[in-house]
Amino acid sequence: MAELTESLADFEAALAAVDTSAAIGVVDDLLVAGVAPVTVLTGVIAAAQRNVGARWQRGDWTVAEEHAATAVAAAATEAVARHARLTPITRGKALVACAEREWHALPAMIIDCALRADGWDTTLLGASTPPLRLGQYLQDLGPDALAVSCSMLGALPTTRRFIEASTTAGIPIVVGGAAFGPDDLRARALGAAAWAPDAPSAVEAARALPAVVPAVAPLPDAAVAEQAALELSHRELVASLLADWQVDPGLEVAEDAVQQVLHAVWAGLMTGDPRVVPQTAAWIAEILRSRGEDPEKVTALGGLLRTCLRDYPLAHSLIDNSWPAFVH
Amino acid sequence: MTTGDGSWDAESLRSGDLRAGFGADLQASSELADDGTRTPRAEIVEAISLAMAGSLNLRRCVLQLLTAVRPELADWAMVVLTNPRTGALTLYGGDDPSATGKASRRSVAGQALDRILTTGRTELLHVSPDTAVADGLASMVPTKVLREQAAQLRPVDVLGLGLTARGVTLGALVVVRGQGRGFSQEDVALSELLASRGSLALDSARLYEQRSRVAAALQASLVPAALPVVPGVDVAARYRPAIEQLDIGGDFYDMFGAEDDWLAVLGDVCGKGVDAAVLTGRARQSLRTAAHFERRPGALLSAFNTVFHEDTSDRFITLVCLRLRPAAGGRSADVEIAVAGHAGPVVVRADGRAEQLEIEGTVAGVLPDVDYPTTTVRLEQGDALLLFTDGVEEARGQEGFYGLDRLLNLLGEYAGAGADAICGAVEQDVVEHLDGRSHDDIALLAISCGGPTGWQN
Repeated sequence: MAELTESLADFEAALAAVDTSAAIGVVDDLLVAGVAPVTVLTGVIAAAQRNVGARWQRGDWTVAEEHAATAVAAAATEAVARHARLTPITRGKALVACAEREWHALPAMIIDCALRADGWDTTLLGASTPPLRLGQYLQDLGPDALAVSCSMLGALPTTRRFIEASTTAGIPIVVGGAAFGPDDLRARALGAAAWAPDAPSAVEAARALPAVVPAVAPLPDAAVAEQAALELSHRELVASLLADWQVDPGLEVAEDAVQQVLHAVWAGLMTGDPRVVPQTAAWIAEILRSRGEDPEKVTALGGLLRTCLRDYPLAHSLIDNSWPAFVH
Repeated sequence: MTTGDGSWDAESLRSGDLRAGFGADLQASSELADDGTRTPRAEIVEAISLAMAGSLNLRRCVLQLLTAVRPELADWAMVVLTNPRTGALTLYGGDDPSATGKASRRSVAGQALDRILTTGRTELLHVSPDTAVADGLASMVPTKVLREQAAQLRPVDVLGLGLTARGVTLGALVVVRGQGRGFSQEDVALSELLASRGSLALDSARLYEQRSRVAAALQASLVPAALPVVPGVDVAARYRPAIEQLDIGGDFYDMFGAEDDWLAVLGDVCGKGVDAAVLTGRARQSLRTAAHFERRPGALLSAFNTVFHEDTSDRFITLVCLRLRPAAGGRSADVEIAVAGHAGPVVVRADGRAEQLEIEGTVAGVLPDVDYPTTTVRLEQGDALLLFTDGVEEARGQEGFYGLDRLLNLLGEYAGAGADAICGAVEQDVVEHLDGRSHDDIALLAISCGGPTGWQN
């Protein structure tokens, strides 16, 4: 693993310099040395990518810098995929997609590559897959497994649509990504057959999937109805929260924070997992702190949410019960 | 029995081993195992047919059937489907519902399975415990491996049901129960109901799959070709068709060439969907052929315009065509550009300036003879060029069109970020702007000089 530590450092340097050929060089060297593709994906590319996200969160990098570094990581993943495609196909077909409005394409690329290296015949649909396109591929390919990546809470509702589309055709689905949180609770609540926090566990989960799954049961009606109503009023709610929240008007991440907190409410309603609320509050406190704002403004945001969600009883009580009184 | 109207005739009782069918004498019913606590059985058929109807993929549909019949209706099941063209039999299931195998129609000649595939009529055969592999199972299950699997269960009967839908027998469902549990008259009737319902779903999937195979073959020739690796230059593209479930539409891009001389084109045929896509395929091929003789973008577009006008006087197409000559090592690249009624590309300089090239030319296909002026631009390391179709500017969101200004502002932030990051950012920003609304085809092609190494940290 010492070898990987060194490679990881070289890879991170290549990302920071946006040097595609250096990044590809690092992964190629490892693959030539016989390191397993899934190890390269997990130990180098995914590990470095976590730091890319952290750099944006801390305010060290702009979104454009984050995207540039991510494009380099994507090119390196493609280099691993070229290597993985040499493995013979020994398993069934797997379809890999990003939820609609999920623009982080890299995790899906990594999962696609890991499954291919494990002998699956994979098809990768790119960022933000429209549900119609997913449906078409489900019918045309008739895959044995669907893997869906979702890191944005706001993409969980379409992930649920994907689960409905997939299980209606009997196709089992494995999900992963930051939006699902630290365990399988949200994934199970939405009806996924399996939850995978990283590439090796996605490989393991895919191997263990049943051949056929039953169509998922409907989610609790009241919660779904409220989430739909919130989605319809989303722009107005964002505008009202932004107008009332006393933060530096030049703070670009304020809108990200407000979007995220409303998406957390959607996620809490759909999955019945209230932990998403304090987790999001902590995340907002962190991005405020790193940009020189008082993290205590999170408490104020909680108050504003209680006011603007007063017509949404379930969402209101979710915030009431789960918004942290103090942020440390 | 499985003919759809519920009718049957005595002819299906010709086999000496045959003991069942609607109204037939049923010794097997007394052997029925404990089923007092089961789900009401008609509901099982309902659930299975619903599950099968959820898939239009033949293999998945078969899988639904094979998984769902167990354990309520059978302990072991296989589906045989015939290929009407070759006569080959595809065997699905057995112990593992997802297993598949092959057999020839000739190998089952004269056996029960052959009769079922020909007539669609149910046959219930006795399986004697001593010579299980040799009698009923031998007549119904075409391969040794599958026969041995079924024999393991020590069945007393094997039930074969025709899968008939829309007047055609597509195949057969063969089921077995273990440990002395036979098939009662009620079981057979229920299985026949299932077979007739299931057949309809299987036939729909079969029809869909035939169409889908044709469509896939045609579509494969029309999807954008993979981008080449161009030394010293970093290229990336994105394509979002207006008709979201298609991978093709009226926009197209292409890039080809060798060493230090490359051509890139991006265009937009009037119209959307399949008709427009067919025309993009022709346009792409014509341009590649013409480029073999003429590599100057203006002259190339002139020749293309004349031919396109003669061929399709009522269609037109907008194009941007550029010739790219990268210097060794990606330090710079000289670009010569001509457009036919298409928006000029945007140059994104490494220092963050983004501006649209001012260049005009007549839409291709409208006039018989057109001269296309060209302009040149030099890209230094870290500079990029973005070609795009009007699906970008004209993406209509809550606050109106996406527009050129928004594009230029965004691109300024992505100076030096590399072709893939530029394409990804524009795609995301435009689609977010749309916020779920319908849109025209969107195509992007970015060329970044020296790759993304011009990034200033």
